[in-house]
Amino acid sequence: MLDKILNSRFWSWLFKGYGFVFLTFLYLPLGLIFVYSFNANSINMAVWTDFTFDWYLTIFGGANSQSEFDAAFTESPERIFEVVRNSAVVALCASTISTVIGTATAIALQRYNFAGKKFYQALLILPMIVPDIVLGIALLIFFVGAGFELSLLTIIIGHTTFLASYVFIVVSARLAGMDTTLEQASADLGAGPLTTFRRVTLPQIMPGVVGGFLLAFIISLDDVVITYFIAGVGSQTLPIFILAMMRRGLRPQINALAVLLLAFSFVVAAIGLYLRSRKT
Amino acid sequence: MAGSGAILARKRRTLILLLAPLTLMLSVFFLIPLSIMVIYSFLEPGLYGGVEWNWYPYNYGRILGWPLNDFETFEVIYLKIFLNSAQIAVMTVIVTFLLSYPAAFWVSRMTGARKNMALFLITLPFFANMLVRIYAWLLLLRPTGFFNTILQSTGLIAEPLNLLFTNFSVIIGMVYILTPFMFLPIYASVEKLDYSLVRASQDLGANPIQTFRRVILPLTAPGIIGGSVIVFIPALGNFIVPAFLGGSKVQMTGNLIERSFLQSRDWPFGAALALLIMAFVVILVMFQISRQNRAAERGIA
Repeated sequence: MLDKILNSRFWSWLFKGYGFVFLTFLYLPLGLIFVYSFNANSINMAVWTDFTFDWYLTIFGGANSQSEFDAAFTESPERIFEVVRNSAVVALCASTISTVIGTATAIALQRYNFAGKKFYQALLILPMIVPDIVLGIALLIFFVGAGFELSLLTIIIGHTTFLASYVFIVVSARLAGMDTTLEQASADLGAGPLTTFRRVTLPQIMPGVVGGFLLAFIISLDDVVITYFIAGVGSQTLPIFILAMMRRGLRPQINALAVLLLAFSFVVAAIGLYLRSRKT
Repeated sequence: MAGSGAILARKRRTLILLLAPLTLMLSVFFLIPLSIMVIYSFLEPGLYGGVEWNWYPYNYGRILGWPLNDFETFEVIYLKIFLNSAQIAVMTVIVTFLLSYPAAFWVSRMTGARKNMALFLITLPFFANMLVRIYAWLLLLRPTGFFNTILQSTGLIAEPLNLLFTNFSVIIGMVYILTPFMFLPIYASVEKLDYSLVRASQDLGANPIQTFRRVILPLTAPGIIGGSVIVFIPALGNFIVPAFLGGSKVQMTGNLIERSFLQSRDWPFGAALALLIMAFVVILVMFQISRQNRAAERGIA
């Protein structure tokens, strides 16, 4: 009876309608930023006046048509370039290091049996469930106490501590679904462990490794809370920079910056999701 | 014999090599910092930031009422803020659940490319920057924002409504950020739902409400509980959402921690507050793991 009810036209329309509402809830707020980013009205963004590219141009150093009031809230292209570069350096380094560490750990836990395996599994989950703010202040206390100067290096270290776990999970899933007979055949034919890894294992788990890398890259690029505590004065990343802009007041330039960041994250995420969904 | 010994030794060496980087990194930059934070929470705050290395459990007294000395006083406001954070986190869990549960059924009834597309569309906002998503709600809710402008131009209201800086706006922000965390585990268990059990329950004469309560809900409970735990944890400690959508009106424990570290520079007090959150998280995770283990045992038996 229930599946008959659920399959009836009324319920299937209800489900479709709800799905539409759900997706609207997810996308309307982001779509709004997109629309506002082209609105020339700098007094009230919610009222449309004219179409403009100015807010984007200010990011890249064009457009001087804005009022003095806007200019006071507009960051220079040099400053934006600097924080974007910081973000890129941090995300690239942190995700590369955590991909190497996470993949090595995944192979160890999937292919070997040893005492303390349970301990490692628990240890790997821990960085993902400790609240960001707790990890952020623990790292801050540690870095200051150990005499590290807060810099891009401390941010890279901080991100790597929790990103390795994400890579581990993605790569493990790939390894678990992999046929081990090929590895055995390669060993039987006289290949050493390194050759077997390079020629047999790695090509097969590559989509997982790349997927893990992209996931780590996005999370690092978007991280606010942990970076907030361990970023030094001269080592702002893009999200921390946007946070500072938001504290000073909502100006149209933030819209344009937000749209560019969103577009970039979505493209990287889409590639990652595609790679993960692809079968061998 | 000697050959197999050499192979074993080599396997051991490989294993140690594979595990060394993670072991080193997590002990130095994760376990040691967390331990130092625990120690700090029992130290005396220095006059100008930093700490004095004296045994000082009174940081906890300020929050919990015990133990206290002549200098520290118990202030009930900290407990109130903590309870308010817990309340906001619980409300976030409830609302994300109510939003995600029907959506999971909606997606699970699709097939093929449509289903993949729907899953893709629901997962994608998860990768949008958290700040940008909060910023979007600032644009929607503020006095000159989207909602107020529309309501005023249609003449429904004369003065802008006070939508920002309330528990309501903080909960909306949290829900918006955390919905994917609730949706994905629920979807996983809805997808596995065995419809033959649903039919059996109807054949045995249960009405739809009974079938839902006694069959569908218990079978999808693992996803609901899993989703609730991973939504509750980040909601409890979040300080960015209340900082922007709660203003000075809505305080959460995360804001207290942030201020004691970056403004009042009372690190031991901030560490004590952070440990309080950690204790909550540990209890929740232990509960979840023991529940999963029990479920696994029942599955085998």
